[in-house]
Amino acid sequence: MIRFVYIIVGMAVLLLSSGIASGFERFPPPDFESGYEQPSPTTPNPRQDIYEYIDAFVLLAVLSLASYLVLRKRRRRLIFVLSILSLFYFGFWREGCVCPIGAIQNVALSIFDSDYAVPITVMIFFLLPLVFTLFFGRIFCAAVCPLGAIQDVVLLRPTSVPEWLESGLRLFAYVYLAAAVLFAATGSAFIICRYDPFISFFRLSGDFNMLILGVCFLFVGMFIGRPYCRFACPYGIIMRQLSRISKWRVAITPDDCIKCRLCEDSCPFGAIRAPTEDWSPQDYNKNKKLLVVLILLLPVLVFSCGWIGFALRPVTSRMHATVRLADGIYLEETGQAQETTDTSSAFRATGKEVQDLYAEALDIQAEFGLGGWIFGGFVGLVIALKLIVLSLRRQRTDYEAGRAGCLACGRCFEYCPKEHTKRKLAKETIDKS
Amino acid sequence: MKTQIDDTYKKTPGNTEATSQWYHTAVATAVIGGVFSLIILEVMLFNYFQRTVAEPKRAEKLDALKIQLQQEPDDQQLIFQVLELDPQSDVDPNRVKELEVIQAEIRNNPDDKQLLPRIRQLYLQIKQDRIRQLDLQIRQVRMRRWDLSQKGSYLLLGSVVVLLIGVKSAYAYRKKLPAPQPAPDKRKEQARKAMQARWAVTVGLITFGLTALFLTTRPWIDFSAADMQATSYPSTEEIRKNWPRFRGPGGLGISAYTNVPASWNGKTGEAILWKSKVPLPGHNSPIVWEDRVFVTGADPNNREVYCFDALSGKLLWKRGVTGSTKPIEVMDDGGPGYAAPTAVTDGRRICAIFPTGDVGCFDFDGKNLWTRNLGIPDSGYGHATSLAMYRNLLLIQYDQGGAEDEISKLIALDTFTGRTVWETKRPVPNSWSSPIVAEIGNQHQIITCADPWVIAYEPNGAELWRAKCLGGEIAPSPIYAAGRIFAIEPYATLIAIKPDGRGDVTKTHIDWSIDENTPDTSSPVGNDKFIFLLTTEGMLTCYKTADGTKSWEHEFDYNFLASPSLVGDRLYLLSEKGVMLIAEISTEYKEVAKCELGEDCFATPAFMDGRIYIRGMENLYCIGEEEAPKQP
Repeated sequence: MIRFVYIIVGMAVLLLSSGIASGFERFPPPDFESGYEQPSPTTPNPRQDIYEYIDAFVLLAVLSLASYLVLRKRRRRLIFVLSILSLFYFGFWREGCVCPIGAIQNVALSIFDSDYAVPITVMIFFLLPLVFTLFFGRIFCAAVCPLGAIQDVVLLRPTSVPEWLESGLRLFAYVYLAAAVLFAATGSAFIICRYDPFISFFRLSGDFNMLILGVCFLFVGMFIGRPYCRFACPYGIIMRQLSRISKWRVAITPDDCIKCRLCEDSCPFGAIRAPTEDWSPQDYNKNKKLLVVLILLLPVLVFSCGWIGFALRPVTSRMHATVRLADGIYLEETGQAQETTDTSSAFRATGKEVQDLYAEALDIQAEFGLGGWIFGGFVGLVIALKLIVLSLRRQRTDYEAGRAGCLACGRCFEYCPKEHTKRKLAKETIDKS
Repeated sequence: MKTQIDDTYKKTPGNTEATSQWYHTAVATAVIGGVFSLIILEVMLFNYFQRTVAEPKRAEKLDALKIQLQQEPDDQQLIFQVLELDPQSDVDPNRVKELEVIQAEIRNNPDDKQLLPRIRQLYLQIKQDRIRQLDLQIRQVRMRRWDLSQKGSYLLLGSVVVLLIGVKSAYAYRKKLPAPQPAPDKRKEQARKAMQARWAVTVGLITFGLTALFLTTRPWIDFSAADMQATSYPSTEEIRKNWPRFRGPGGLGISAYTNVPASWNGKTGEAILWKSKVPLPGHNSPIVWEDRVFVTGADPNNREVYCFDALSGKLLWKRGVTGSTKPIEVMDDGGPGYAAPTAVTDGRRICAIFPTGDVGCFDFDGKNLWTRNLGIPDSGYGHATSLAMYRNLLLIQYDQGGAEDEISKLIALDTFTGRTVWETKRPVPNSWSSPIVAEIGNQHQIITCADPWVIAYEPNGAELWRAKCLGGEIAPSPIYAAGRIFAIEPYATLIAIKPDGRGDVTKTHIDWSIDENTPDTSSPVGNDKFIFLLTTEGMLTCYKTADGTKSWEHEFDYNFLASPSLVGDRLYLLSEKGVMLIAEISTEYKEVAKCELGEDCFATPAFMDGRIYIRGMENLYCIGEEEAPKQP
């Protein structure tokens, strides 16, 4: 019966999106079609400044409340209710913008482009969750992020992802983060916003392909907990690193761990780490050699991937509008393209020299060459460090929430018998008093 | 034993009984939510199907009606179609009544020509009514479907929320105690997991590399190695070596070659390399690009572009320019006729315009690249303004009506596609003068003349400057010589304007003007020192460009419609009777040759390397020597 219901849910969620996607044009198209395609806006309508400050205040309040609920109250149900409220406020009401994830790009652009100033509210949205992460772990992911919340809502039958697969898939998020910074820094595109899979749901309209992607994420999210957060979210990558050094963070048990193993499979995100055993002498020696090789391999990987990033500049630079325009104009000028575009016609109407455009495109390609080295070098560094970290000996005596991977959702609390004891004691104390 | 286990199960905090009443309620909620979702989904799918399949058919019907409205049936077709119209399907009762009356009258008097205007008017009204009615229906249906889609989305969203709540609750009520299985050998497990993770990361690295390899193998343009000079439009040097538009490079009437013939005779065939008949008449001038000569011709029903082989005179191709089906009235006898505007080429494409407003563009093989109809211009004698090109822009000075009508404009079309790149309204009435593109300083200016303004535009259509100095019916085109723009008001004034102003320069940049011997049709020609004017009645006047001082004048016994041209230090003046008068530029008129073609000529000749191309009233001539030495 339940399986049947799952199938219905899956179909309904998929087709719900299709229903919204096939939204009609509000007004019929004009008689004289120009062939121009109306682009889907990537940002919602502008709001009054005061609302942006209210949003920033709400973000602060929700983060504070979430911290209290996760670290003090330790109640999953309350955390879930708060995440639903966040979903409606930050997702549907505010139409998913500004969000801290996308704000990475604003910050990156402002660093590399002195003419661009980040609005203060965008800066608040970018920094506030990071500051909270530094102190309380990934509170933002637990109950504030609308992208996380919408995936949590559809999570029905969580299936564990093998650790090896998780390690491999997470690389994508690093590449995505590096690419997002590269494109933002060069003023090419804000790809995080452009390829936000859930924005179509929040705005009840959007690009059809992105809608399909969103539906796919939600469908996968019914069985695999928060796939976007774990394998794609670039902001999650930053938070993972900050969460490693956070002052306070989620603990599965409110007391000493008794290693009952009841919480072992409670986390749908695979964030619970089991106690470790010491290595055998053979394993120790073997890993020591491997570690030396991997450390020596680090500069090789950084350089190789950096070169790959550099070699990718023809592809990456095409994300920049000027290079795309120059490409199009060049093809038209050399007779390789018979059809012109609105953009190329508009360029010609300016009377600018095509040689100037080519020179500009050449400069941008050179920028992407340098950016490609950094982008690729970063990816290579991440891969090399990951290989090294996976070869290090871990020492854990208790069941713990992973420092980086724990999304502070609080699902594991109820699986701990110590938690129940504590609650019972607390209830008895209240009853007595 | 079982009871004991069940009791333990129930009493365990956080655990619940799978078959409790709440569980069944949650399942029921989920089923209701699911069924409701499916029903809404069905409705929305049906709505979507209607929108994507049924509505376009209705829109096609509307399009067909619109096309039908644009087609003007002849009298017999009209009567037949009106008789076939079903009066019952019309919504306006008055129209139905009128239609029935007309239909009865047609049947009673089928040959009554007096009825035709009424029939045509009624036919148009009924067609328009039906288009409006169908258009309204389509819009109403579309809005209804949009409304249904929007409401359905919200209902679906709500029902899915109910479904999710039900399913999640049911799942919560079926929650089972975790039952950890005996752990495998942890030490081995740790090593195995670490190794697997390392392999997964390695696979990630390989995937990254392979993806990059795949992406980099795709073609791309390396601007550091690309031919930066490659353009789809000709260079200044290419233009200089050809005769790409009315009056040649820049519309100045100056030949780049000095080795052109100075002696021929059309009657004896002396120096006539070839002579080819042009299928349809036209007063437009030949244009030449390397081995191709282009002219256009038209009559009231046909408009054609002709491409001749410059070496043999063979007609390589002719192409019709179709667009407007409505006949136009132009002043044919003594006026510009049906093909006065001269075509233009950039060496890749040839574009032509006709007084019907039809613009056609062809490649050098005669392939039609695009055709546009700009609407029939309201021009007193018929549209006669020639085309100009700037890079990939086809420039059309589309002056029409009166200045108060505000319908004159300068239009720039993309030569690739014919799409309008920009258009600028002009505060002038109809005119017959052709625009020129002059390189002034480091800037290109599009210079136009009409009553009362000489206006200069940037290549993007923005106005640079304007001078109020003209009046009447402006036909002569402007030229740029000796750092000045020269414009002519027929029978009145020659004005020299300094082109470095901005805004209204009437009071600041008019260098000088003279009001003697100005032509009404032909355009001036000039160099750094002198400017020459040739009136229709045959008065040639030479003025100094510096201050407008008259240097000399000479009167011919010929009439002239073709504009004068400069070949080195010689003036070439082609009379209406086909006599070319060749004179040296000197302190006085000094005729060096007189050559007869033997055919009347209205068009201005084209001068190329060792050759002259002249269009007579019926034939196109190539004059030169077979083995003439080439000029670099």
